Amino acid sequence: MSILGGGIFKGMAVTLRNFVGSYFSKERFITTNEYSWRPESELPQSIGDYPKEEGEQLSDTTTVNHYSRNFPMLLHDTGEPMDTIRCVACQICERECPPQCIYIEKSTEKKENADGKPQFYPAKFDIDVSVCMSCQICVEVCPFDAIVMNSQFELSTPDRFGGLLVRRDDLLKSNDYYHKIHPQEAATRDERMAADKAAKEAKKKAAAEKAKAAAEAKAAAAEAANESKEDTE
Amino acid sequence: MSLELIKDILLATVPLLVIFPSLFAFTTWMERKALARIQNRIGPNKIGIPCTRIGLFGLGQPAADGIKMIFKEDIVPRGADKLFHLLAPILALIPAMLILCFLPLEFPWGKFMSGQVQAFLLDSAVIFFFAISGLATLAIFMAGWASRNKYSLLGGMRAVAQMVSYEIPLVLSAVVVVMMAGSLNAKEIADVQTGFNWFVLTPWGLAAFIVFFVAALAETNRSPFDLPEAESEIIAGYFTEYSGFKFALFFLGEYIAMFAISGLAVTLFLGAGDGPFLAVAPWLSVVWFIAKIFGLIAVMIWLRGTLPRLRVDQLMAFAWKFLLPLSIFNILLAGMSHHVTVAYPGTTAQVVTWTVSLVGMYVMAKGLDKISRSTAKPREYLYAE
Ligand code: SF4
Ligand code: SF4
Repeated sequence: MSILGGGIFKGMAVTLRNFVGSYFSKERFITTNEYSWRPESELPQSIGDYPKEEGEQLSDTTTVNHYSRNFPMLLHDTGEPMDTIRCVACQICERECPPQCIYIEKSTEKKENADGKPQFYPAKFDIDVSVCMSCQICVEVCPFDAIVMNSQFELSTPDRFGGLLVRRDDLLKSNDYYHKIHPQEAATRDERMAADKAAKEAKKKAAAEKAKAAAEAKAAAAEAANESKEDTE
Repeated sequence: MSLELIKDILLATVPLLVIFPSLFAFTTWMERKALARIQNRIGPNKIGIPCTRIGLFGLGQPAADGIKMIFKEDIVPRGADKLFHLLAPILALIPAMLILCFLPLEFPWGKFMSGQVQAFLLDSAVIFFFAISGLATLAIFMAGWASRNKYSLLGGMRAVAQMVSYEIPLVLSAVVVVMMAGSLNAKEIADVQTGFNWFVLTPWGLAAFIVFFVAALAETNRSPFDLPEAESEIIAGYFTEYSGFKFALFFLGEYIAMFAISGLAVTLFLGAGDGPFLAVAPWLSVVWFIAKIFGLIAVMIWLRGTLPRLRVDQLMAFAWKFLLPLSIFNILLAGMSHHVTVAYPGTTAQVVTWTVSLVGMYVMAKGLDKISRSTAKPREYLYAE
């Protein structure tokens, strides 16, 4: 039996620890140090220093820390992105997204995926950065582990219309990248996927064996019946 | 009107109009700093003395904000009801300011005045307090309605539902104090508590204080009850369509209301200006009073940094199924323990009644908590940490 209101006090203890701790340890400020991966000399020193290179805002930057979640990305396994894309354009995420910022067009014909199974794929998969609220619901609902959160935060662009619509090919990121930015989550996800796959295969095998046994039994029964028929003749 | 009277009125009201708005500026800075530290950020730290690089911990921030607010364009939506759109922020500020006049603050310059040291010395101050603070609801709904914006209207509706619901536990928890002090006069209630006889130090007073504080959070639209202005759901709620100085007025009104309701909590439960060293320096009473208000405000900020916002159904269930029965039960307990201690004077009876009330209150709260919770299961997430 928990104390009434105990959760509130627990939460307040956490925030108090943060409050006091922020005066003593510099490491706590890591959440706001957005350029932590850069050497000191390369940090923007004054206005106008940034961006350093053209297109830098969409570069695959290593990120703040591995708790950061900002914007979805599509996953593919090792290999050519479009050959190993996991998304099958089932459009569940499109329907579940609260602000409706995902736009998917399903392909007309099937194509082999990483497992060599013919599947549909998204001919178009756009997400509007300006509308996405980073809720991660698309990630929760995807049955194919095809969409996960990226932690890129440099999404600003001078193009107000096209630039804010991220296209399929820009959304596609490899599983290795996912492992790099969210190591823990990626590991649990891989584990769970492997377990699911194994369970599915075991089930399939069992089903196949059962079907085989049933077929044999049926055949045997038929044979027996035939024989008895022959006997009566 | 005699000169004497004018002098009295000025001495009683001008300090309120000076002290509290400047405290407001300081509180906004304090709130931003505290929230930032809670979230492991630094908070405002750049604006200090103009034209230099001296930051002064960002203490210049409120002034800079004020300047920005005043010079910002005042936008009124085309379909808005212009008159009410203008009146709403003013009406939001007036009741908050009026309430301040009821607080039993004893300023040291009281001796220059002819007797009366408070702006209003009403025998029914507590009732007046609640009556006037109820006006704020009207202002908020006015703002929501006049803006002609769906988010404003939603915010206004939420605000009305919330403030009407939470007013009841707020008043009922104050009733206990009125019963015990035998007066509705703020000054007399303060006098009863001198010498550390604070009402919060009794079991029923403690329970009433907690209920009062929670209801006060809801009354002033503070987190976790900030549904009327929930940014992530309805932009900015009822003041979505306000900018510039009108917005600043709303902001000011909200904070003054916070001071006022904390001031009432201090008067009712925390012994008003009572504190140590009063015999040596009577002027300390104002300092204690304001320090206690600030203590409560600090807890409000701390809670804001800690708790997530409630859902609408949780909010209503909490008011009607938890706080309301609890405060009624508390009135019964207070009455009974009072009569028991009157009938059987002595420490034993006191100890017994206090233990019984504390345990009874806790069991009641625990039971109500169980009943009032929503039965919906929380959603399960696979990967959200
Ligand atoms: S990302 Fe997942 S949920 Fe969305 S269409 Fe692709 S497979 Fe379906
Ligand atoms: S994170 Fe939320 S808002 Fe963004 S695309 Fe996914 S479901 Fe939509």
